[in-house]
This record gives sequence, structure tokens and C-alpha cells, in this order.
Amino acid sequence: MAGLDDLDLWLSDQVRHGMASFVAQNAQACRTISQRLVDAKAPALAGRLDSLPTRLFTLPGPARPLAAIRELGQVHLISQAYRRASELPEPLAADARQAVGWSVTRDALLSDPDALRVSGEWRVFAVLSEVQPDRLRRVETWLWRQSSGDGMPTCAVLIDFVPLATGAATGGYLVGDHIHAELSFYRSAIPLRALVAQLKGGAEPSDEPLPLPNEALGVSYAHYERALGQLPWLRAIPLTFRSAGVRRTGEQLHLYDHEGGLSLPLDASQVNQALPLASLDRIDGIGLWNGYEFTLAWAETRLGRWLCS
Amino acid sequence: MNRNTLQGKVLPSLLGGTSRHPLPEDLIPPSGSCPDGSLAVLSLMGQALRFERPPTPESFVIEPEIIDSRKILANRLRRPLIRLLTAKYATDHPARALARAFDRLRMRPHPFDLPSIDGFVRSYAEKLGPTAQHWAARQKSETGPRSYFDAELVDESNWSQAAVSRRVAFLEQRRRDDVDAARALVESTWVQEDADVRFRLLQVFQTNLSMADEPFLASLEKDRAPRVRGLAVRFLARLGASSTNPALAACLERISEHQSGLIRKRTTLKLELPANVKDQAAPPWVLQTFSGVSLGELATAFKLEEEELIEAATKDELLLLALALMATNDRRLDLLEAVVSNLPNAWERLFEAGLDTLGAMTEPERQRWEEILLHPYGKELPAIYPLWDWLHRITDVEAPPAVMRMILDANLLTNVPEQESGKAFWFDVVAAICPASQRQELRARLTQFDSSLTVAPLALLEILDGMENDRTDA
Repeated sequence: MAGLDDLDLWLSDQVRHGMASFVAQNAQACRTISQRLVDAKAPALAGRLDSLPTRLFTLPGPARPLAAIRELGQVHLISQAYRRASELPEPLAADARQAVGWSVTRDALLSDPDALRVSGEWRVFAVLSEVQPDRLRRVETWLWRQSSGDGMPTCAVLIDFVPLATGAATGGYLVGDHIHAELSFYRSAIPLRALVAQLKGGAEPSDEPLPLPNEALGVSYAHYERALGQLPWLRAIPLTFRSAGVRRTGEQLHLYDHEGGLSLPLDASQVNQALPLASLDRIDGIGLWNGYEFTLAWAETRLGRWLCS
Repeated sequence: MNRNTLQGKVLPSLLGGTSRHPLPEDLIPPSGSCPDGSLAVLSLMGQALRFERPPTPESFVIEPEIIDSRKILANRLRRPLIRLLTAKYATDHPARALARAFDRLRMRPHPFDLPSIDGFVRSYAEKLGPTAQHWAARQKSETGPRSYFDAELVDESNWSQAAVSRRVAFLEQRRRDDVDAARALVESTWVQEDADVRFRLLQVFQTNLSMADEPFLASLEKDRAPRVRGLAVRFLARLGASSTNPALAACLERISEHQSGLIRKRTTLKLELPANVKDQAAPPWVLQTFSGVSLGELATAFKLEEEELIEAATKDELLLLALALMATNDRRLDLLEAVVSNLPNAWERLFEAGLDTLGAMTEPERQRWEEILLHPYGKELPAIYPLWDWLHRITDVEAPPAVMRMILDANLLTNVPEQESGKAFWFDVVAAICPASQRQELRARLTQFDSSLTVAPLALLEILDGMENDRTDA
């Protein structure tokens, strides 16, 4: 692919100039290469690079050059994996194709006899939305399966794209909703993204607690590390925790694992909302870890339930 | 290639640029698509960084332990409360009513809701309990107060660390119970207080003022703050310990005394405005001139009883306004009632004067004050929003049932000026002052209006009812 060859040249230029320099003047550089990748029919990779300056900007200054190495390193990995897809296991090859920009239509997924299908009682534990540069709102509805232990995925994400003009900010489900459905998962080494293949009843609001595994944050984080080994360009993944605490250093909040000493910085946009949790001892819950920040989604505390809003 | 090699040899090259810091040749793997192999090293380094666990801070902030015995607002009321307090174009009347309810019922917002209602919490922290006070104070300077108390928890040992309004309330009670102990308490911290706090604490001396206070008050004649000095002088004059209240002298210069009546001579007093004070400027001038004088002092200066002073001023509306202001400052509601019987529009006149505080009046006193002012209007209540807005702000109490009866009987909400008809602020203020016993009737009245206009007031009434029911059930 000519576009990927151009990407290699561009990446080599960035490596020659250094990441400190890249961080200082990345906006125009990323825009140029992402446009080239759009022309080369690699829209997902283009989107990843186009949004990179914004993502770096949300991090503290000293962390940005290292984050740039991580991000550009992943871009190269995706590019290489795509080129050598035939040498990879099928799920990982599908991840590479998807990361470059191949899309699988809803009909194609639902008619794929080999697609992983999981039926069960699902709870919505987070609904996140983000406005994209293409004037679409990306809405992620994160689901947790009520029963587990059968080796099937316990969580899934439904991704909807809604035109900004409609004003809608959710995908139709609310946090806490209970759904009885069969989900069909996109092929992946770490199956997360899914579609509702069959709805076996309407969504019902529920106040029941999530049936979270009895695992500390450290154990959950180890699952993340294993997943990262299987899918090196993995983005957000749910992490559950028991008996953790929210602790503060200056204006930064951390989710702190009392047992293992692991500490994950909370998403900066949650500092205000999650601050009341800092005065509580032990909380159980679930959130999303993207490798940089933890987005706390749901917490059970002695003062009741805390939900990300 | 292990982690140490990557960190020590590869990372500096990637950060600074391989053109200036070339990668060690022996570390570069051959790569088909990238001749120098640097991109493979980039990916490897990037992935190694992804596997690094986030560093754990050396220490975390230790959050203060807040003792808050108030009952947390019920879950079913949390969402309506947030909706009401974050609604666009809302006045602050519902918030004021809710803050009062939290205080009176010894309840508090759910701690998780504090970020969503941050503005409300900051504005009314003292009424929302210690947790809310801590929340509101968290962005203040490091030298700010570090202790948060509920009213019931304030005692002589922690009095100096509590919020000013709590200190004033506590001191007020101590003045009633043991005036000497109350004065000793004030003296113990006086030199550390700032001017505003000194003034507010000194205002409380009005309760059970006696000659025993004279030495302390005399020591304040050299206070750094003019208004503290002025108030001390006023109290001394009231005690007869000082004959030199300059404010009294200034008032006397402006009042002329006449005798009238053929058989029974009666004193008549008349206020003469300075030549440069005209019409609309007169009420504020009266407030400014008479705020440093007590009604008793003025009566003594004319050798009259207080009731006789009012009688002597009946023909001068501005002088009656001055007496109404002085009776308010002195918390002499009996005298205010006598003044208002001769000045039926005292409410409007006090508003025009710009009165902005009822000082240390207790809640029942403020309700009585409101009732006295509104009584003369009967069913002819003025449909002037600024008057009602001011009344709620200055009293910060529910209307007494008699006043609410007048509002309902006068059909105030349907008699507002045409251009204000259906405006949310009218519904807000009436719902906010409505006492519990008349909420049902007000609800029925609100059904006459377009439902889009009454969402907020009805929500307020529901929340207030819910809070009261929860408290009663507890």
C-alpha cells in the first residue's frame, strides 16, 4: 500500500527529529499524513493520527514525548501487522484490518456464522460519548454480563455514530439498564466491540449491583497486561476492582489498590465529580483503562452508588 | 534487548532524534520496509512503555475526617434537586428555600451530588452541614479554616473556628443564658478577629445590653474599624455611659421640634432634609443618617417616651421611615408596629432606603417583622417583583401563614403586571416563601397556569414536602 509506505517515511522523519520535537509541532504534521492515509483508504489509521495531537495535549507536559513514542510505535505496529496479516492468527489479522480502516457492515457481521455470539443478561455500566471531527458523535455503550465463568466475554461495547445535528448524546441505553440479548462480537484477539444480534426483551432500568468478580485492581490490571500481549494496539478495556480507594495528590485523583499498591490516575475530567469518593475508605466498581487514565464508571460505596455522568 | 537497554540506550535517541543521537547499531534489527530499522525499535520501545505500570505517588493527601451527623437527602429527591438547582434562568429563591430546609431539618445533600450543585453549595455552605462546608472551602487558601461544625457542635472550645453566622448564633444564645460568659468569650478572641467579624459579634451585644458591658464597649472607642467604633459608641450612649454619639448629634441637627394643640400641648417633630437631598435620594439618606442611632436615644434627646416619639413624628413620613429603621435595628418590633400603623407603606419605603440586613434578628423576629410590614396592605398587595425579591432576601424565612394567606387571597400571581405575567421569577419567589401548611393550596393555584411555567415551583414544593416527610419518618 502506497499510503503505508508514505506512513513509514513520515514515521522515520519523526524518529530522526525526535519525539521532543514532534510533541512541540505535531498538529500540522499529523494532519498532513492523516489526509494522505484517508486518500489511501486507511481511514481508521488516519483518524488515530489526526486525533493524536489532541490526545497528547490532554496529558501532562512531561508525559507527552513518552506517550508519542507509545502512540507512533503502535501506528507502526498496525501498519506492519496489516502488511503481514496473512502470517497472523485470524482474529489478530481482523484487528489489524479494522485498525487500518476496513469496516465490517452490520449485515456482514450478523450473517457471519463464525462470529462469536454470546447470549445473556447484560447491564449497562457506562455510556460515553465523544464528538468526532467529522461532526458525528461516537457513543460507546459498555455492557457487563451478569453471569460469567463460561470462558465467554464478560463485557462488550456497542458503538454508535450519531449525527451531531440530532442532539442525541446516548445510544438509547442508560447506565444501569438491564438487557437480555444475544450479542455478536466483531472478530478480535480481545473481543469487545459487538452488535445486538437479538434482543430478548426491552431494556429495563435496574438498581441491582453489578456482579463484579471478587478481584482487586491489581488482579484486574494483570488481565489488561495479558490482553495487551495479545492485542498490542488495544485501546480502552474495562477493569474491575474491589476494596480500592480514590486518593488525591494535589489536583490529581488516583484509583489506589490497597493490596497491591497499584495506582491508576483518574481521567482529569473526572477530578471534580469523583472528589467526594476521596473521603471513602473502600469502594468496589468498574471503569475503563486506556493505558494513560482510568475513567471511573461505576462504584459501590457505603454512601450508595456513584455513577459517571 | 531488555528493558534496561531500551531505557538507557534507545529512549534518549528516540526523544532527542536519531539524527543527533543515533541508535546503537547493534540494537537495530533489519527491516524490510524501513532500511534503518528504527521503526521496529520505535514500536518495541513504545510497547515496552505500555507495559510499564503507572508510578504510584510517594504520598497521598490525607482527607480530613468530617463529622457530619445530618441525614443525607433521600435518593428519590436527589435528581429533582439537581435538576432544580441547575436549571437555566432560575432565580435563587428556590435555592434559598432549599438551603433553609436543609438547615432547619438538619439534612444535607448527598456528598456525590456536591460537584453537580457546586454553586448552590458554595452559596449556602453554612446551612448545608460540615461536609458541604468542607467542599465549599476546598479551593480556599491553605491558611483558611480547617474545621467545619454543625450548629449543635459549636461550643466555647471550638467557637472561634466556626463560621461567622454560627458564631453569631452561638453568641446570641450565650448572651441570653449568661451575658458575662458571652462577653468573656468575645474578649478572648477579639484581637484576632477581622473588622467584619468584630462588627457582627458586637451587634449581638444588643441582646441583654447592660452596664456590665460598659468597660468592654469603652475599650472599643479606639477600634481600628470606624463602624465598630460607631456601634460601640451607640451602645454606650444607649447605656447613658457616653453623651457623645456623633450620629445622634447629626440626627438632632436635622429634626425640628414644635409644640401644637391649644388645650393639651403636643410635641411635633419634623425632619428637614439637606438642600442637596431630593426626592428619591431621601430614603437612602435617612438610612445612612439614622442607622447609628437607637430609637431610645432619640426619644431621650427629646425628653419623650419612645411611644411619644412615634406620636410626635406621625405627620412626617420620612421621620417615620427613620423610626422604622431604628426600630428594625433595635429589634423593637412593638415599636415598629406602632410606626407602621402611621406609615402603611413602610415596606416600600424601607426597600427604597436600601436596608440590606436585619442584623441579629432571630427567625421568629424576622417573620414577625415581615408580618408587621405587610399587614397594612391587606388584599392590596403590591405586585412589584423587586419588593418581593428584596423581602425574601432580607428576611430569608418562610412567610408567616398570615402573610401567605394574604398572598393567596390577593391572587398575587394573577395580578402581576401584564409584561411580567407568567414570568418564572414570580412563581419562584412565591413558592420559595410558602410555608408547609399552605403548599397544597398553592399547588392548586399553580394548576391555573401553563404547566411549562410551574415545573420549577412545583418541583420545589415536592422536594420540600419530601424532605419534611423524611425527617418526620426518621
